[in-house]
Amino acid sequence: MRQTLYRLMGVAALFVLVGCGTNLDKPTGTVSKNAAVVVDVSGDLIKQKLLRAHFPGIDQNSTVYGEKAYRIVYDSIDIHGNPIKASGYMVVPTGLPDAVTRQLGLSIVLDDHGTIFKNTDAPSVMPSQTLLPGNDTSILFSALGGFVTLMPDYVGYGESKGAVHPFVMKRLAEDSAAFLQAARKVAQENGIKLNGQLFVTGYSEGGYAAMATLQKLEDDGESVAMAAPMAGPYDLNFTAFGVLSQPKLSVPSFMAFVGYAYAEAYGVDIATVINSPYATMLPDLFNGEHDRSEIDPKLSYDTTGPTGLFVPAFVADFFANSSNWFRKAVLENSVSAWAAQTPIRLVHCQGDDVIPFAISQATLQSMQSAGTQNIGIIPVEAALQQAGKGDGHLMGHSECGIYAYGIAAELFAQVRQATIGY
Amino acid sequence: MKKGILVSTLFLGASVSLFAAAYKIPEQSLNSMALGAAYVAHTEGADTAYFNPAAMAFMPQKRYVEGGATLAHLPAIDYTLDAQHSGHSKVENIAIPYLHYVGNTIGNWRWGLAVAAPAGLSKRWETPYQKAFAQEFTLKNVEVNPVFSYKFSDRFAVGGGVRLIYSQGKVYSDGSDAGIPLKREMKGDTFAAGYNLALLFKPTNDINLAATYRSKVTLNEKGKANLYFGGAGKQYDASVSIPIPAALNLAISKTWDDRFTLEFDYERTFWSAYKQLDFKYEQPILNPILSQAFDDPLQRQWRDTNTYRIGATVKMDNKLTAMFGFAIDQTPINEKYIGFELPDSDAKIFTMGFRYQANEKLSWGAAFLYDSKKPRSLSQGTVVNNPVLSHGGSFDGGGAMLFTVGVSYEY
Repeated sequence: MRQTLYRLMGVAALFVLVGCGTNLDKPTGTVSKNAAVVVDVSGDLIKQKLLRAHFPGIDQNSTVYGEKAYRIVYDSIDIHGNPIKASGYMVVPTGLPDAVTRQLGLSIVLDDHGTIFKNTDAPSVMPSQTLLPGNDTSILFSALGGFVTLMPDYVGYGESKGAVHPFVMKRLAEDSAAFLQAARKVAQENGIKLNGQLFVTGYSEGGYAAMATLQKLEDDGESVAMAAPMAGPYDLNFTAFGVLSQPKLSVPSFMAFVGYAYAEAYGVDIATVINSPYATMLPDLFNGEHDRSEIDPKLSYDTTGPTGLFVPAFVADFFANSSNWFRKAVLENSVSAWAAQTPIRLVHCQGDDVIPFAISQATLQSMQSAGTQNIGIIPVEAALQQAGKGDGHLMGHSECGIYAYGIAAELFAQVRQATIGY
Repeated sequence: MKKGILVSTLFLGASVSLFAAAYKIPEQSLNSMALGAAYVAHTEGADTAYFNPAAMAFMPQKRYVEGGATLAHLPAIDYTLDAQHSGHSKVENIAIPYLHYVGNTIGNWRWGLAVAAPAGLSKRWETPYQKAFAQEFTLKNVEVNPVFSYKFSDRFAVGGGVRLIYSQGKVYSDGSDAGIPLKREMKGDTFAAGYNLALLFKPTNDINLAATYRSKVTLNEKGKANLYFGGAGKQYDASVSIPIPAALNLAISKTWDDRFTLEFDYERTFWSAYKQLDFKYEQPILNPILSQAFDDPLQRQWRDTNTYRIGATVKMDNKLTAMFGFAIDQTPINEKYIGFELPDSDAKIFTMGFRYQANEKLSWGAAFLYDSKKPRSLSQGTVVNNPVLSHGGSFDGGGAMLFTVGVSYEY
């Protein structure tokens, strides 16, 4: 009987095996060489989204391209110059005429994003989770402008979450340049035809990073069609003197982030820079889990003093000692005085309450003095008014961003039209 | 019809049955197919192990084995609304094997084994709006059912067994052809267990009274799901629970002159266990549209059903036995929650078949079943969870034609 039972169970097992197949491959189209497709939506879908959001200048007749976005992991360097895996977000417009995608090729906008604290705000992070286009600047440059948009997450976010972010440091330029190379390789591997034309931009921290990246790219022999750094603290020495001489900090998280990153990069004990108890709180506050609205209330708005953010001795030494380590560091990382070959347009709101417009004015002077021939400054409010798109009211740092990006997108489109022909 | 409405309620669910209402499959052997599953009180071969294990106690002292296969042909289902939203499903042809065994008696005990497919379905739509909901829904099951019987007297015996079920599920939907940027691919499998009980009472030599009960088995299909928004997708660990409902059969048979047997069978299937279809994902779905389409529980609220079966067995001579059956099969579907995945309706089932005794040990035969589904018309506003069906329309076609061949050996 037992033998019969075994035989029957054997036949039963055969039944079970027939038609087995529960293995499910990873989603089709999401894996390509060195990159994953995280967003692939049509222009119609984006247009509907923009119409619902009453996006300026968009109506049913507007041309809106689709977006195919890749999350790319590449080799970069951390705040100490050591190798690290970083990530970035490449948005490729879809639905363009064949004449553009097959013959002319696409131009690139390298867009360095502004200050973020929360990892989920990094360009590639949320789109990878939601499969939705997640960034208004990629909408401007790719869906509306037809550019390939490249946005590095920056070291400290995305793939490199956990590493200390090199906040307003030249390391950002090395990271952006590495991402540019990685993105070009992914484009080539995936049949995305590029025409070699490159634009560089960024806002706020990204404005600084854009200027630093431009300098790095020129040093590397890259040709950049135009750069539009926007509202960036290009002259860090000027910025540091300005901020540390004020009794109050408008955004303490920004300056605390500077102190934290620079102390880490230059091997200085953070307790000599930031007062207790804030110094010990910073690793948690800047771990990528908190946004600015959570961080600011936990820090002091007083610049220095016994209850201030910065250690009084540190501030005093910065002003008094020309060989103060932080003074040397901000000079070393300033990107406001060099001879650029690329046409540069500094885009900035005159009403900026975080990065004063005067920084761009000073940078214009120092860049010209250093030998930059083709550089100009575009006050956003005036430009909008001139174009009949604004009433000239002064705009603060946050409000200004999207308008500044609109001006940059228009500038780049004009150059591309005149040179490439689309 | 706005795409937004479609997107907001996009889902997949169960599908059209292979044989009986919904996705339970009562017919699992040559005789049961030929008799329309009116095969509980008067069972004769190895398939007794599956249909009434208590009856094994009264079978002559030898071993029985039967194997066979059923080819199920499922014609297309047509949905008619307007030119844009009308559509039709694919024709399905599915082969389903079975195997039954009854061993020798050991005192008053006897054991047996059935290997069958107690539930299953496969429905694929190929037209845009239907595909958006049910590009494919396939459920495959195999049940290994070791059973026993115990004979209390020459007139009364009981039986029971353990239901060991392995199941695989596949759920695909694709809205791209309908302009909906949502797609789902899900595969999963599971092992589940239940039990079955049976009794047989023979008040006279020619009358049998029987009752059987098969317990509910919840199939908690676990696997992976790819959810797409546009052309990009993300993989999740996913699961979904689908019940194989409990079923109670009460049957009576009478035999005249050892030549003609008539059996009447009442079956109550407890489909009300199927209240909702709830796909669960281990990771949160952060895309709100995908979440709404694929993560929100879908109401089913099915109802218990009655099925009435009658079967006639005619021994034409020593070699040939003819069998006929008829059944009225009620659908469990709650029309309020009907979908393209399951446009089931009440059915009438007609069956016939024969068995040929080739020699003392070997017999073989064939059977045919025709399942005629009642056309279903939907009034506007009746369906609440499908944006196309809420506009009404009608389902036609469907049903099933099944052909079974089986070989039995006694030794």
